[in-house]
Amino acid sequence: MADNLLGKLFLRWRIPKLKPGLAALFVFLVALNSGAASFTASLDSDTIALGEQATLSLKFDGIQPQNAPTLPAVAGLRFQYVGPSSSFSFINGQTSSSTTYNYIVAPQRDGAFVIPGMRVDVNGQQFASLPLKLTVSKANAPSAAAVNSGSEVAFLKFTFPKNRVYVGEPEVGRLDLYLRDDVQNFGNFQLTGAPADGFSAGKTAELQNQRRRAQVGNHVYTVIPLAVPLTAVRTGALTLGPFTASAAVVLPSQNRNGDWPFNFFNQGEQKQVTLATDPVSVECLPLPEQNKPANFTGAVGDFTMTVTAGPTNVTAGDPITVRVQIAGSGALDGVALPAQDAWRDFKTYPPTTKLETGDQFGFQGTKTFEQIISPQNSDVHELPPLTFSFFNPEDGQYHTLTQPAVPLVVKAAAASPMPAIAPSKNQAPENQTPQDILPVKESLGTLAKESVPLVVQPAFLAAQAVPALAFLTAFVWRKRADSLANNPRLRRQRAVAQLVHDGLNDLKKFAAANQPDEFFALLFRLLQEQLGERLDCPASAITENVVEENSILRRASETTRTDLRELFQLCNQARYAPVRGASELNSVAARLEQTLGELQEVKA
Amino acid sequence: MKNGFSFPPRSSRREEAQINCRLPIADCRFYLEPRHLGCYQILIFLAALLFAGNLFAADVAADFSAANKLYAEGKFADAAAGYEKILQTGAQSPALLFNDANAEFKSGHLGLAIAAYRRAAQLSPRDDDIRANLAFVRNQVQGATVREGRWQNWFSALTLNEGALLTAALFWLTLALLVARQIRPALVPRLKSATWICAALTIFAASVLGLQAANHFSSATAVVTADNVTVRSGPFDEAQSAFTARDGAELRVSDRHDDWVQVANGTGKSGWLPVKQVEILPGA
Repeated sequence: MADNLLGKLFLRWRIPKLKPGLAALFVFLVALNSGAASFTASLDSDTIALGEQATLSLKFDGIQPQNAPTLPAVAGLRFQYVGPSSSFSFINGQTSSSTTYNYIVAPQRDGAFVIPGMRVDVNGQQFASLPLKLTVSKANAPSAAAVNSGSEVAFLKFTFPKNRVYVGEPEVGRLDLYLRDDVQNFGNFQLTGAPADGFSAGKTAELQNQRRRAQVGNHVYTVIPLAVPLTAVRTGALTLGPFTASAAVVLPSQNRNGDWPFNFFNQGEQKQVTLATDPVSVECLPLPEQNKPANFTGAVGDFTMTVTAGPTNVTAGDPITVRVQIAGSGALDGVALPAQDAWRDFKTYPPTTKLETGDQFGFQGTKTFEQIISPQNSDVHELPPLTFSFFNPEDGQYHTLTQPAVPLVVKAAAASPMPAIAPSKNQAPENQTPQDILPVKESLGTLAKESVPLVVQPAFLAAQAVPALAFLTAFVWRKRADSLANNPRLRRQRAVAQLVHDGLNDLKKFAAANQPDEFFALLFRLLQEQLGERLDCPASAITENVVEENSILRRASETTRTDLRELFQLCNQARYAPVRGASELNSVAARLEQTLGELQEVKA
Repeated sequence: MKNGFSFPPRSSRREEAQINCRLPIADCRFYLEPRHLGCYQILIFLAALLFAGNLFAADVAADFSAANKLYAEGKFADAAAGYEKILQTGAQSPALLFNDANAEFKSGHLGLAIAAYRRAAQLSPRDDDIRANLAFVRNQVQGATVREGRWQNWFSALTLNEGALLTAALFWLTLALLVARQIRPALVPRLKSATWICAALTIFAASVLGLQAANHFSSATAVVTADNVTVRSGPFDEAQSAFTARDGAELRVSDRHDDWVQVANGTGKSGWLPVKQVEILPGA
């Protein structure tokens, strides 16, 4: 019953017309009914072959992390985030929700791996998962018998054109993907492993328009050739492969027993296949030291050279552009123009280079060097011969190309400043024009709602008044404090006013307690303090006589002076004939209060 | 109306992409009046709001991943629709706008791509990826266009909100130093240099903020989102053609009249364009 009610509530909650209050209550109930929060990590398979992939699932029960967790780096494993999935369930009144983040795990090599336990922080709570083991077995190429029998739906074959290469020699390996004739479709081909230790590998690409069909055993296979550009960079015995790959192929369905037209939709079933090649051994030879030209800079291949220079009729110090084009096949990337010792009478500037490749691997084409030189004196009559040496791996010999000297006419002239050499666009990689936009971002980042800028938000502007008001308050306080510190009369006036205020309260207490001695002692002191402050003299110097003698007090009204005299006399009388009775003391206190008030009005 | 523009909420670029707010959070605000609620009810409401917010974030992340997948599959128009659908919920992030711009560019919509990159750059002005892609797409645009000046580039290194917070922080720090000097006069010699430096920085930051705000609120840029748009000499369809703008051209907005906007290109030509053919962004 409760389930039904919650279920109905849930359905209604998805409808925007549901009262939000009820929705809020429902969501809270879901949160309350949910079990304890937990975080688990799991693999769909703990043993896979190299080239296969496993799925890692990070499941959060009862909690909802803000973003997908970041996985720890594991050498030899590559993780790719797939996306989240969520589920809700209502079982016996218990509601549970979970979110699972899925990752594809692609091994880069065989062996046993441990994915460490992960710690995640969700809303201040710490959760941890257990470590996971993943065993990756070696991928083996199918046997010749299996291939010939036609039992292999697909297989890979790797061929390398030579079994001996020279270091620096570029070659294109060939990876043939064989697909049996009953494969209806294939896709998601991924090269999962391409071990080529000792080689520098370029980008693997399909050889265009070279697909073919071949008979292997009892089956016809479609052969899709892929080119793997490789350049040996280390001498010795090297091994290429085994290359591994995975692909999804669509085969005719085994279950096609249904009647037409229902079997029409049952066209095929998809199968994930793992492919591997046999390893290929290659011996890499070092370049011979014998007959190595002095100006050899490491160019390996077969090249031709063209040199042009101009202008040839110049004034000493004028620039001459020397353009050297090295064309041919080989590792053009590594081709460098040798230093020309014979150009000692020229000032030289660093050359700029431009590479134009004639094939997709960059192994054929033309590399152009443009160098600015300027003759230093009018004794120069020619551009000395330019030489370039390379090693040709086909014949195992070094070759030196020499361009004959170019005649120059150099006139003597007054010294003139050298023209500035504009930097070439190809001089630095950062100046190169990008070929495409950068790819999309995988992480959503922090989400925010569109809002009004802070500078026009009243709350933000009002908040700026707080420090201003604090400063004004501090400023006024400081001024008052300084003023008081520099005015002793004012300070005494305030101190006496406070004393009188407190003293009058005490007088009323003494009167109420009928304590005449304390009462009149305090009264006398208050009179002294107030008069002393008004007359600017020590309180102890005040006696009844000042009322008559002091010129300031003469400005006071006669009533005030009379009251002062009588109050002093009351104090004197109290020593010999104490006044008794609270009411009498109270009337004296009231009189004193009035008199002191009048006295404060007297200008000091 | 010279200057002083108002920017309406982002409108739908695709009619088929319906706004699909998954949780009626906005409705909750209208039905629950806090003055009628007790503390317990308010706590329930806040808990529900938090839970609903988390679900909303998870939904957005799922939609974002789905759009990324479409992009990876080469279905750029579908990916752009996916990103646009998220943006229509009012949520935005630099990455979301960046990806939307990428998808628009790959779909051949230079203007929409530039507008989205510029919006992303306003949220995250120091993101190198956004700047690189914006520069790349701008290079594809043909015809006259208006670009930010050097000082505008310099000022846009901070967002308007970052500038406001920085200025406020310096202002508070300066006044805190002044208050400290009033309360403890003995500190005056030691705080003198710091106070002057902070005051100078505050004035400088406030000046920059003022220029930033002036640029943001009093000027606008129209990015042309259709190709070969005819800019007319007046705000009506029968007006003579003044010049033609290409998809992605950025034009300076100088006035607005009904559904027309007056624009000027980088060569001094000006004219009127229908609002539906441009996307108007704050700032020059």
